[in-house]
Order: sequence, then C-alpha cells, then structure tokens
Amino acid sequence: MDSIISTFHIDWKIIIAQAVNFGIVFAVLYIFALKPLNKLMAERTEKIKKGIDDAKKSEEMLLKAAHEYEENTIKLRKLSIDTQKELKKDLEKLRAENIERIKKDEAEHIKKRAVQMEIDKKTLVESAKNEIASLATLIAKKIMEGEKK
Amino acid sequence: MEKIAHEITLFAEPIFHLGNFTITNALLTSWVAVAVIIILSIILRTKLRVIPGKLQNIFEIVTEGALSLCDQVTGSRILSMKIFPLAICVFFFILLNNWLGLLPIGGLGLLERSEKGLAFVPFLRGGTADINTTIALAVMAVIGANIFGIFSIGIWKIFNKYVNLKALGGTFTKIRKEPAVIIVAPITFFVGIIEIISEFAKVASLSFRLFGNVFAGEVLLASMAALVAYVVPIPFLFLEIMVGIIQALIFSILLVVYFTIASTDHEEHEEKHEHLLSAPSP
Repeated sequence: MDSIISTFHIDWKIIIAQAVNFGIVFAVLYIFALKPLNKLMAERTEKIKKGIDDAKKSEEMLLKAAHEYEENTIKLRKLSIDTQKELKKDLEKLRAENIERIKKDEAEHIKKRAVQMEIDKKTLVESAKNEIASLATLIAKKIMEGEKK
Repeated sequence: MEKIAHEITLFAEPIFHLGNFTITNALLTSWVAVAVIIILSIILRTKLRVIPGKLQNIFEIVTEGALSLCDQVTGSRILSMKIFPLAICVFFFILLNNWLGLLPIGGLGLLERSEKGLAFVPFLRGGTADINTTIALAVMAVIGANIFGIFSIGIWKIFNKYVNLKALGGTFTKIRKEPAVIIVAPITFFVGIIEIISEFAKVASLSFRLFGNVFAGEVLLASMAALVAYVVPIPFLFLEIMVGIIQALIFSILLVVYFTIASTDHEEHEEKHEHLLSAPSP
C-alpha cells in the first residue's frame, strides 16, 4: 500500500481539494444551468403540447364548422326550393282566381249592358212612337187646315 | 548549455506551495476546469431563453442525449431525473479535465533543478492524469451510490447487502421448511462480505481506468512529439480528444449503473421472481 501511495503520490489533501472542486462544479452547474434549463425545457414542452392540442381543437372546430356550413347550405337550398315551389303554387292560384274574377266581372258587365241596351231600346221605341204620333197629329192638322182654306 | 529533461512522471508535479499544501499542476488544471464551468454556467444562465441561442442549443442537445442514455441504463425517467444531475456534472468535469491536458499551454511551465539536472514542469497537466483526482471522483461515486441506496430502499436493506444478518437470522426460521438454508445462509453472508470488497474494487477500477487512459494518452502524445514533432502528434491529438469524451462517458455511465443497482431492492425482485416461478402455468 505504501509503495502505491509513494509511486502515485497519493495525497489525501489533494483528494479533498479535488472533491471540493467537483462539489463546486456540481453546485454551480446544478444551480445555474441544469435546474433552470430543465424548468425552461419543461415549460417549452408544456407550451408545445398545449399548442398542438389547441391546433387539434381548432382543426376539429374548423371541420365541425365546415360540416355545419355544408349542412346549413343544403337545408337553405332545400328551403329555397320549397319556398319557390310554394310561391309558384300561390302565384298559379292567384292567377287562376284573378282570371275567374275577371271572367265573372266581364259576364256581369255584359249582362248589365244587355239590360241597359234593352231599356235604351224600349225608351227609343217609345220616343219614336211618340214622335211618329206627334208627327201624324201635325200632318193631320196641316191637312185639315188645308181643306178648310 | 545544460540539457533540460522532459520527463513524464506518473504523478502530478508540484508548482508552488500554500503553507504546507502543495499545489500540483493537475490541481491547477482542475481549478481552470472549475473556472471554465462556472463561467459557461453563468453565461448560459444569463442567456436562457424559450427560443434557444447557440450555446443553449448545444447544452440542450447534450442534456437531452445524456438523459435518454441515462434512461436506457435506469429504465425509469423518475430514477434518471434523480441521478442525472450528478452524472452530467461528473461528465463535464472529467471531460474538461481530460481536454485541458491536451492544450499546448502545457508547453508553458517551470524549470526545476533536480538530482538528474534541469527538469521541465508544465503548468497544465490533465486533471484526470493525476490519481488523486480520479480517486476523489471514484470515492464520491461509490459513497454517493450507497447514500442514494439508503435513501431509496432504506438503511437496513443496504446494511444487509454487506452484513447479511437477515440471511443468518433466516437459518432459524426457515430450517424446518427448507433444510438447505443451513448451507445457503452462510454462503449468502459471505457474499455480503465480498460485496464490501467489491465496493473497494469499484473505487480502484474507476480511478485506475480513468487515470490509466488519460495518462497513457499524455505519454503517447509526448512520445510522438519526441519522435517527429509538429505533424505526427496531430492525429493522436484528435484520438485523445475522442478518448477524453469516451472516458468521461464511461465514468458517468458506470456511476449511473452503480446508483441504479444501489437503488434496486434485490430481495423484492427475487421474491417476485420466486412468486412467478411458483405460480401455476396456464
């Protein structure tokens, strides 16, 4: 043992000094480098993980929104077609009603005119009769006056 | 003109004295390594941002890689997070000490007169090329592993790992059920004694492996430079840079292995294994 100590110059004071050196290295590296770096790396990992999760959620939301948009578009299209059909139907009905009403009004108007024409005819005939009668009277009067003369 | 000897010694050479405390060139290199680590740590701390810069990026890549390597050894992220800070600090400390020994500043030094004449003593010698440094690290690793084991599985289990009183006590309780225990228990107790020896062997193997590799590298570089200066040592310098990384990595991984073994409850593991063996097969 003594020969080993003397050959390699083993000195317990230097061994302690080197142990102290390593202790300083450990303390400094742990406090100034490893601990803050580990904390920072853990924080970054957490941030990246959160970012990926958020991106996944956003993607899911986007897909959902696109799906909803598609569904709503289909619904709206269907609604528009239905409304169009209904409007067409209503329009047809309204048109038919109007035609019916016009036809009815026209028939009534014709009927009224026919009645008026009959009345007018009767009045005209009556006035003609009266006129002819007065003319006949006048002629007869004139003939009688001529005979007297 | 008197000849100057460039002899590479097995031990770190003294540079100056503080009272009766000798400051060796290896200790000086370690202080430089500590200073570099302190400066880099402070720079890193001040430049820490969520979006990393160059230095932070390098440190993050190394940390992430080392942590995943640590996970492969421990098999558990929770355990890795407990051992990792110590292992990475050991890695950086050894790495810087290994690399500082390769700096050409090692060409600066003192001329000392010895019995053989003038001898050149470089200011910087790889911190790990001194057995005192590697012994300090190895002792800390082995003692640290045992303390970690005490906190993880309890002092009684760690004590029984070395002085297996439980096995000896089991002789009286299990002898009727399992007569073979009378032979097994002393063997188990003896294995515990061997465990104590193995702890010392761990210190020896850790310290001499690191010291041997780094010192051999320095000898190799000096020999190559003595043979053909300037050009020939360059590939070997690159080799030594690699060796520096590999040795730091080996020491750190072994430290993680020792800590993981110390925190594993072998009895519980064996009981589970026995339970599985005794369970009827489907």
